[in-house]
Amino acid sequence: MSNDNHELIQTMFPPDGSGVKPYEWMINPTRQRQWIDKQGLFLWLAFFFSEIGAGLYFVSLFYEYKLGLVLGWLITLILGGLIHVAYLGNPFRAWRMIMKPNTSELSRGIWIIGIFAALGLLQMVTSGGFNMVFNVIMGILCLLIISHGFATMNVIRALPAWSSTMVLPFSIISGVWVGQQVLQFMLAVSGATALASGMEVWAEIFFFAYFLCLVLYVWGTWHANEIGQASIKMMVSEELKKITLIGVVGLAIVLPLILTLIMWGGDTNAFLIFLRLAAIFAGDLAVRYIIMKSAVYKPLLERN
Amino acid sequence: MTYKTDEIWEDKWVNTTCGVCYCGCAAKVRVVNGVPVKVEGITDSTMGGDGAGLCGKGTAGLMYYHDPSRIKKPMLRTNPEKGIGVDPKWKEIEWDEALDIISTKMKKIMDDDPNKILFTNQTMRASDGPHNHPYFYAQAFGVKNNGNFIIGGGSLHCGNACHMLGGLIHGAWSIAPDWRYTKYVLKWGSSKGTGSGHSAMTNARLRADAVRRGIKEIVFDPMGNFAGGKATEWVAILPGTDTAVGLAIANYICNIHGEMDILYLKAKTNFPYLIKDDGTYARNEETDNPLIFDSREGKIKDFDDKTLAWEDCALDGEYEYKGEKVRPCFVPFKEHLKQYTIEWASEISTVPVATILQVCKDWVDNAQIGATITLEGKTYPYRPVSSVTFRGSQGHSNGIHQVAAIDLMSQLVGAEDVPGGTLGWPAIRRAYPGGNYEQTCTAGKDGVIVPSVFYSHDPWPVHAPSLPATNMGCVDVWTHCTLSHIPYVDEMEYIHEKFGMKSKPEMIFGISANFIISNSDWDTAIKNFKDCFVVQNDLWINETDQAIGDLILPDVSYLEKDCWSSEIDAFFFSGSPSHEDWYVHMQQPVAKPVGESRFFMDVYIDVANRCGVLDKFNAKLNDYYGVEDPELQIKPGEVLTWKEIGERFLKWVYGNDIEKIKKQGYATWNKPIEDVYWRWDIDTRCPVYMEYLLHDRARMEEIFEETDFDVEGLGFDLDQYSPLPSWFWPESHKDLDSEFDLLAFSYRDILHTNNTTFQNPYIDEVSKMCPYTFTITLNKSMADERRLKDGDIIVIETKAGVTEKGIVKTMEAQSPKVIGIAGQGGLWADGRPIAKGKGANFCKLLPSKLKYFDPVAGNMETAVAVKIYKEE
Amino acid sequence: MPRWGMVIDVKRCIACWGCSIACKEEHFLPPNVFWNRVLIGERGKFPSSSKLILPILCNHCSDAACVEACPTGATYIREDGIVAVDDEKCVGCRACLVSCPYQQRTYYDNEVKDREYFPGQGKTELELIGEKLYPFKLGTVIKCNFCTERLEDGMKKGLEPGVDEDASPACVNICPVSARVFGDLDDPNSKINRLIMEHKGKQLRPEFGTEPAVYYID
Repeated sequence: MSNDNHELIQTMFPPDGSGVKPYEWMINPTRQRQWIDKQGLFLWLAFFFSEIGAGLYFVSLFYEYKLGLVLGWLITLILGGLIHVAYLGNPFRAWRMIMKPNTSELSRGIWIIGIFAALGLLQMVTSGGFNMVFNVIMGILCLLIISHGFATMNVIRALPAWSSTMVLPFSIISGVWVGQQVLQFMLAVSGATALASGMEVWAEIFFFAYFLCLVLYVWGTWHANEIGQASIKMMVSEELKKITLIGVVGLAIVLPLILTLIMWGGDTNAFLIFLRLAAIFAGDLAVRYIIMKSAVYKPLLERN
Repeated sequence: MTYKTDEIWEDKWVNTTCGVCYCGCAAKVRVVNGVPVKVEGITDSTMGGDGAGLCGKGTAGLMYYHDPSRIKKPMLRTNPEKGIGVDPKWKEIEWDEALDIISTKMKKIMDDDPNKILFTNQTMRASDGPHNHPYFYAQAFGVKNNGNFIIGGGSLHCGNACHMLGGLIHGAWSIAPDWRYTKYVLKWGSSKGTGSGHSAMTNARLRADAVRRGIKEIVFDPMGNFAGGKATEWVAILPGTDTAVGLAIANYICNIHGEMDILYLKAKTNFPYLIKDDGTYARNEETDNPLIFDSREGKIKDFDDKTLAWEDCALDGEYEYKGEKVRPCFVPFKEHLKQYTIEWASEISTVPVATILQVCKDWVDNAQIGATITLEGKTYPYRPVSSVTFRGSQGHSNGIHQVAAIDLMSQLVGAEDVPGGTLGWPAIRRAYPGGNYEQTCTAGKDGVIVPSVFYSHDPWPVHAPSLPATNMGCVDVWTHCTLSHIPYVDEMEYIHEKFGMKSKPEMIFGISANFIISNSDWDTAIKNFKDCFVVQNDLWINETDQAIGDLILPDVSYLEKDCWSSEIDAFFFSGSPSHEDWYVHMQQPVAKPVGESRFFMDVYIDVANRCGVLDKFNAKLNDYYGVEDPELQIKPGEVLTWKEIGERFLKWVYGNDIEKIKKQGYATWNKPIEDVYWRWDIDTRCPVYMEYLLHDRARMEEIFEETDFDVEGLGFDLDQYSPLPSWFWPESHKDLDSEFDLLAFSYRDILHTNNTTFQNPYIDEVSKMCPYTFTITLNKSMADERRLKDGDIIVIETKAGVTEKGIVKTMEAQSPKVIGIAGQGGLWADGRPIAKGKGANFCKLLPSKLKYFDPVAGNMETAVAVKIYKEE
Repeated sequence: MPRWGMVIDVKRCIACWGCSIACKEEHFLPPNVFWNRVLIGERGKFPSSSKLILPILCNHCSDAACVEACPTGATYIREDGIVAVDDEKCVGCRACLVSCPYQQRTYYDNEVKDREYFPGQGKTELELIGEKLYPFKLGTVIKCNFCTERLEDGMKKGLEPGVDEDASPACVNICPVSARVFGDLDDPNSKINRLIMEHKGKQLRPEFGTEPAVYYID
């Protein structure tokens, strides 16, 4: 009788390396799963949408572009907010999350989003909404929302990859960059081509800033400690290699770079902007996915 | 997260005995609303010392009750074809029909020859029943001796050589270090105190205290896992080569260091016995006693002569007795050891010279020869060194010499049954105060200890090999086999024919044994047993049942069992080996039997009754427990349940305290210190020079000649019948070559009792968290060289062409020349879905040929030469 | 008010998994949920490698990352130092779970609830009575509670945690080698404090600054 180990292999030695081998759990660097696997995917999307929504809102402030405000506000609250709530185990208790702003980054985020919702609404409905004070306050709120997801991750000492100093700058740039691209696209298709073309210089700046932050994040995490190294290694592991190559390198960097070079100096058109937007949309999602997926805990066994 | 106490209408704890392995630890079970929900230890029982614990697998025992795969009615095979992969086409039948089938068959066989019925015991599941009773149950049917007694796991899981020498030296089934007072422990293929072996958790507790105290523990083992992983120092050794290191240490003590416990050797061993040139004892013709030279009086005397002082027993010199040259057997013994140098041992065992030398030095240093210790006002020799072995090292074709060599170093420094040394479980158990069941050893022929009770047959006096063989195991011929291996060997029919064994087995009546997959080569086992009508009492349909079972009776698990007798007679390996009070736990039912399951002891009684032999069995029971009170004896014609028998016998055993004991579920009583450290109080001598083997050899030679037995062709090594512990290559090593270049060995995992625990989901879960339990372990560098890595599936292949697959897990702490497989995985029975497909099966790799068995004690060679390759 | 803590004597531990399984029974934990585990690893190279055994459970930290991360206050530190979860307040955001450097928390959702010990064969009486007697709330996070129920019930009966079984955690009671000692960290004379002093007890991963109440001695 042949001894069929197939099921056991699946459990103990997942062939694609995706699962955590039960006998290596917290013995070798162990991947964070709650905030990316299964239902955790909601959180990944929620962070992304609330941040690009806030990014769009933020960039729209500079152009006093109301449609951008409305769309940004809606994306942040409806897409970001609802997905956030859907992720929760007990969505109807979500209001309780305002209880601990003193220690909990999550709680602080809820407060900020609440204030953003109220003040944003006020800004949108009042005629003189774009006054300087309002703009500064909303700008700050937007930046806080943009960085909220990564700030929540950043404070988790248990996951050194997220504690990197580059996490916050990167997250702000990424939110602004994607938001700016949404706005540029909106302007391009709404016929404001000159405005869209004028924005290209900012697109160039944001893209290179984004690229730089990403490189610094990887460099910094690698050099932070061996757990950081384990995270970076995981990014190029069998399981994540495809997403890293296609999503991060291809869509978030190479393709936008090519498109940016094509449009260099403001030679923009709506189709190319759309292409770049689609690329960075998917690319930024991939970057966030990889960052969330590759965070590992420090093993509890002292093996040296 | 709080208890909803308002949902609870019943909440009680029931004290019982754990039944997950054979150790019989104290266990109590919480029953809520009729459902068993938790298992714990029992605080007040002396078993737990100051605490009360239970190991993981014992705790997980709860699932035996809850397992939906348990059979609930008798199951009858309807497909006459048998074998692995054949659907038995089970049909549920009623109990009455089942018992009728059994008794009709049995009666028919009994009219012909009762030896054609085989009875099997149950170490495969657990000792969750009376230990010794199936032996004399068989006798009630007219079965001669115990040779028709096969045991699931036989040689592989039982320590023939350990039990044999445990009996001859300690009057006990098993040995352990005196954890309380020892300072230096050598463990050879044994996990005493780290999870397995007899009284496993009692030893674990005692060991934990000892290591906290700072003892040194050196473990010789092919892998540094359960025992080695916890040792002060783990020493990698090749399987089956412990003898070499043991003999080198003995040689160091005897011939290099030179300091020995001379008084001990004179007083407590047979070393002063005078032997003739042929190596046999010179005996007093009148008394038939061996002789000793009294050096003070210059006279040869009987060994037990009252005028012979211990210190005057000569260990050297040469004398003349009745015209024949005689000398103390210690003289050639010592000389014989000289050939075993440390360098030689190192080459064989792969243990570095420096390590062996260090162990030699530490051993004699720590032995403190001459030191004494006063305990409870009594002064004893203090020898805080202990050398213990168990299944691992003794499971080889040279098993008897392995055990003898490992024991020898203790003998030379007098560290046997004295404080700090190696202890047998006490050879004496006084009766419970006010009770009647006392078990004491005696001094037998030639001054060798005779245990009060022993399984299968007494190790002493040795029965001379005789013909014809009357049972399947041929123990008439292989008299030292505690449990015979013959039923499993390929040459069984040839052997039976040669030895005139006429009782070809026709029926097996067994208890949860899984002997088809848990001994050795599966095909041979099936060939040898498939023609029998196989009846088993079992919880599930296991692999043996599925392959060859005819009628499977649903047994109760220990949680449903009312078994007053669970450990009561097993004092010689359960309880504490140390100076701690006796404890005996009862097995009390925690829940109602699952389905229509019935306790096998009651099934036994029913079957005996139907076959008309119940009175005989009852008489044997009266006799076994020594019940003298006519009120309490079972009378002819009485049909009692096992529980009803208990009501009477417990009164005999515990006297008036019986109600109290039943209420608490266990008995504890004082164990006097002199019963633990009895060596100098009981006038016996250790037969270190195994003179009896010379006589056995002579008789075996006669038998072989008489029957024209193909000794050479079958590879039977008569030279091992040597009185001197000597080096013999284990059969597995002889098979090594450039192609089959690795030795596969197996070991006990703390989580598993043979293969039944594989069906327990709690244990299954944690087994997956253990890197080695369900995998095949390879030394990391060796695996790298062969381009194998964790998670690869490899095929193991033996010279006989048997293969097994498994998953690779590399580890550092393993000899690079071996591969390790835990327990008994590789299961496939449909009746145990949790167990199915887990781990790899080691047993099937073991060749079932006579030459792979220890010719003296009958141990199976439990290492095997293999090659490994990646599955295509 | 005491501050409950534990000492685990790794030298005594033989990795029998009694703690893990007793804990599962005590709290009717579903398959693959563990509040107590044993980590097994190796250090060094053959032949001088050594086996590593580390029993782990919630550290009941006094500077707990989980408490800090919890946005609702559902996870909190009781006066006796036990880190508890109020399942009425838990929203199931799992910030605590992600934050715990020791990974000692489990999110209880339908997938976990539906697991069967005998897959495909239905839930056993044991699993069913567990759901009734010791229910977990869906969408909340569950964890070791130092057997709060046992401690409280025991103390009500006048028993002493760490001394009397009925007032001590299940994992402490089950340990066959007494590798676990439970007691009051605030009492300088408690057995655990003596053990910590005598054998230089260490906390697990002190670099996270969590101040665990579980100490290890070797």
